[in-house]
Amino acid sequence: MKDLMRIKCLISQDIETLLNQQIKKEAHSSSLYLSMSSWCDQNGYDFSADYFAKQSEEERVHQLKLFKYVLDMGGNAISPEVSGIKTDFAGFREVFEDALEAEIAITQSFKNIASKCHKEQDFVTMEFLNWFLKEQREEEYKARRALELFEVIGEEGTGRWEIDKHVNKITYSEQ
Amino acid sequence: MEKACIDINELINVFSNTQGSIYQSDKLNCFYIDFGGKFARYNCLSLQKLKKVVENIDVEALLLNTTKADFELVTFNGCEHIYLLSALEIVALKELLQGTFTMFKLNYMVNDCLNRLVY
Repeated sequence: MKDLMRIKCLISQDIETLLNQQIKKEAHSSSLYLSMSSWCDQNGYDFSADYFAKQSEEERVHQLKLFKYVLDMGGNAISPEVSGIKTDFAGFREVFEDALEAEIAITQSFKNIASKCHKEQDFVTMEFLNWFLKEQREEEYKARRALELFEVIGEEGTGRWEIDKHVNKITYSEQ
Repeated sequence: MEKACIDINELINVFSNTQGSIYQSDKLNCFYIDFGGKFARYNCLSLQKLKKVVENIDVEALLLNTTKADFELVTFNGCEHIYLLSALEIVALKELLQGTFTMFKLNYMVNDCLNRLVY
């Protein structure tokens, strides 16, 4: 008997479902970052607004990368519905706390997919995921460093203005 | 599609239960579901979609809901076929589809062992 399902698609149904969930999570992150950018802009934090706008674009690129992979492998990529995006934040610090929390959730989610790939011996998807796992190192680092500025600089006086100025300068290097 | 139009001997029975059967045609690369008095043709994608639709039906809620009949229309966008099924038939179709996909997994493993990994 021909293996019609395998002929049609390289990835299993379970992996396809997980990747579609990840597409939705990336879309959610992209919208959340855009919302953070909007809040920062409205409150006078111009550099942070730019920082979050860039992050939003990055998340969108991640989403499309996953989307293309599912389609290229013969799967059914689902354009996600995104709702329930937080639009109001209690303060400048909370924005960065939420950003780090979002990145941690994304890392955990990728680890979960990687674990499933190992279980299924889907090394093709695993190799594809490696790029994202590496990317998460940078994403979490940047989010954590940004939050640490609140401790290093402090929020008193012109502290928030200083933090805003430094956020865009955070870079990650492996070396 | 009528059963009479197809040479049943060319089809492979993937899985059967008391209510119906699912066949695969290696010649046409498609599947046939013999269920609820219908003999319907599906491709890979539509069979996966049908499985998702059937699995998403909450049979318990259907039985507990006193305001509507214990029947459900089963179809999806782009599907040529519609099933009007009772709760028991939904359970049977669910079992039929789950059994079929388990057989696909088994076939995949057998193919791996007998063909793909022995070159």
